[in-house]
Amino acid sequence: MTEGPARMPGERAAVIWGSIATLLVVVSTIGIFLVAPEDADQGVIQRIFYFHVAIAIASLVAFAVACVAGILYLRTRNDRWDDVGEASIRIGLLFSVLVVITGSIWAKASWGTWWVWSDPRLVTYLIVVLIYAAYFVLRSSAEDDRKMRYSAIYAIAGFASVPLSFYSVRVAESFVHPVVFTSGGANMPGSMLIWFVVSQAAMLALFIALLEVDLVGRRSERALRRLALRLEGT
Amino acid sequence: MRRRQLAALVRKDLRLELRTRETIVAMVLFAIVMLAILQFGFGTRDDDLTRFVGGLMWVTLAFTAVLGVGRSYVAEREQRVLDGLLVSPVPRVVMMSAKAIAIFLYMTVVEVVVIPLVGIFFVKGPYWESIGWIAIAALLANLCIALAGTLFSGLALFTRARDLILPVLFLPALVPVVIAAAGATYSVAGGPHDMSEWRGYCLFLLAYAILFSLVSVATYDAVFDD
Amino acid sequence: MITAHALVHAYGERRAVDGVDLVLHPGERVALAGANGAGKSTLLRMLATLLRPRSGDLQVLGHDQPDGARQARAGIGYLAHDPLVYLDLTARQNLELYGDLYGIDDRDARIDDLLDHVGLLTRAEDTVRTFSRGMAQRLALARMLLHRPRLLLLDEPHASLDARGGELLDRQLMAARDDGRAAVIVTHEVERVARVADRLVVLRAGRVVRDEPTTGMEPMDVRRRYEEVAG
Repeated sequence: MTEGPARMPGERAAVIWGSIATLLVVVSTIGIFLVAPEDADQGVIQRIFYFHVAIAIASLVAFAVACVAGILYLRTRNDRWDDVGEASIRIGLLFSVLVVITGSIWAKASWGTWWVWSDPRLVTYLIVVLIYAAYFVLRSSAEDDRKMRYSAIYAIAGFASVPLSFYSVRVAESFVHPVVFTSGGANMPGSMLIWFVVSQAAMLALFIALLEVDLVGRRSERALRRLALRLEGT
Repeated sequence: MRRRQLAALVRKDLRLELRTRETIVAMVLFAIVMLAILQFGFGTRDDDLTRFVGGLMWVTLAFTAVLGVGRSYVAEREQRVLDGLLVSPVPRVVMMSAKAIAIFLYMTVVEVVVIPLVGIFFVKGPYWESIGWIAIAALLANLCIALAGTLFSGLALFTRARDLILPVLFLPALVPVVIAAAGATYSVAGGPHDMSEWRGYCLFLLAYAILFSLVSVATYDAVFDD
Repeated sequence: MITAHALVHAYGERRAVDGVDLVLHPGERVALAGANGAGKSTLLRMLATLLRPRSGDLQVLGHDQPDGARQARAGIGYLAHDPLVYLDLTARQNLELYGDLYGIDDRDARIDDLLDHVGLLTRAEDTVRTFSRGMAQRLALARMLLHRPRLLLLDEPHASLDARGGELLDRQLMAARDDGRAAVIVTHEVERVARVADRLVVLRAGRVVRDEPTTGMEPMDVRRRYEEVAG
């Protein structure tokens, strides 16, 4: 094993992705608030949609990454996949909480109340937050290889629960309020769509940047622990 | 060979249960107590709770499931037999499937008591017909509960504070099952049957069971692979 | 029977087994000794396919581990501290369960033979809960032998067996040499095991510090050879 000189592996990637994410977040924020057209019905509050939906999709990507990392961990038993899985879920959970908060703000502005049990997106994300919060409870109550294996299995099962929660809420809604929900993206004017794509790219870049930073931190932590153990041994 | 192993493991669980009667009796009693508590908590003398029948029943059954699932490895753990099973050439999938079958059967026994009982108080319209439709939805829900429950009870088995971990892992995954099973129950309990609604929920439960059986096949082998 | 090379198992960053090489031939009976925490049980659990090696190569009964675990398991007889039987089943029901798990064809005849062999035939229909510790462990001996394993892996067997069970086990181990079965016996009581083993392997801090034949050696000499390196 060779600990690099001053730099941890992946540090460069973290810096690059950090810069891309910063740039995109700044550009998309400017675009959303200053350039994109104002929604005729909802006014300024509609602009939260760009964040809300982009973060929601980015969080799903994070959970998908964790699921794949879980499968790879079970195949290879390589600690690195556990790092990727945990870091992804941590970021995904943070994003999901933001989805619930932005959704709640949106609900307050459109319907005058912070929480609407009949809005499938809000309710689904509440369940998603619960599912992935449990991941950390599970992690904190097992050790070493078991912790990593259980986490990997749970990341896979959790990712299966996400579409199930989503559809169960929708199926129930469709019977209670027989309305067809159209996604905001389906009939967006082109100028809105462009800024949506930019803000989506910004959120995905933010996810990757956060992931890289987290992984660099973990790698150095692990290297330190190994070093400490070796010093103890001598 | 696999069938022989599966049959032996299920027979073992049922034998232990028949001898000790530790799990099923407690589950049935728990379900009845829970129903009574919910009834007292929600209802007053003249409120008609039929609108909430699905919720009452499936919240109760979900918590009963957590209780039953939590006991599914209790003999192996307390009498320290698990290594004996693990060192034998039983595929882990077979081991876990045997547990899933046991959970399925326990839940079915509980429902044989709970569903007709709830039905007496809340079902409007033809009694046995409604009960029949509810029972079909319940069997599908049991399949979901058994598949997911086996996985989560295996995960919780060697954690600290496993009695607390299991509901935290299991209940969020059960939310879709509760939503769909409660919906299916209400659709045939509240007077005129809405069969298209019932079918929609049952199809959803079936989809849940299929998706979780895929997850199970992918992960069961790893749960005990230390 | 066993080929292990550079075997490692770690709990977190702490290595319980740290690069063990071990080759075991048919008919060999190894006494695996070492102080508490030397890694004996961890090593035995790896050989029994109950623990995955973190790194290194391991073949058990000709099957690469961990991928060939199930094939290897069919030929392993494992005796642990715990009898690994259900207390609320009868002796016979326990053996029937294991007979089915191992897919034994002549299950019922084999169970009768073994129950007789370990002196439990008259108690066959009683639940294990009513057994003494020694009786339960003799049942465990029957469980271990049920599927005619070629590799016996024993964790401190003499500590929990009663006198009669210990004698039965010793006889099995003596016979093992002639019918080509192999055994690994984890032990504290080196002299006791020295009578039935023909090789001594001593672990210290997860590494093999002594591996030598003991055929013809007096038990007291084996003990001394152990104590020289055990630490």
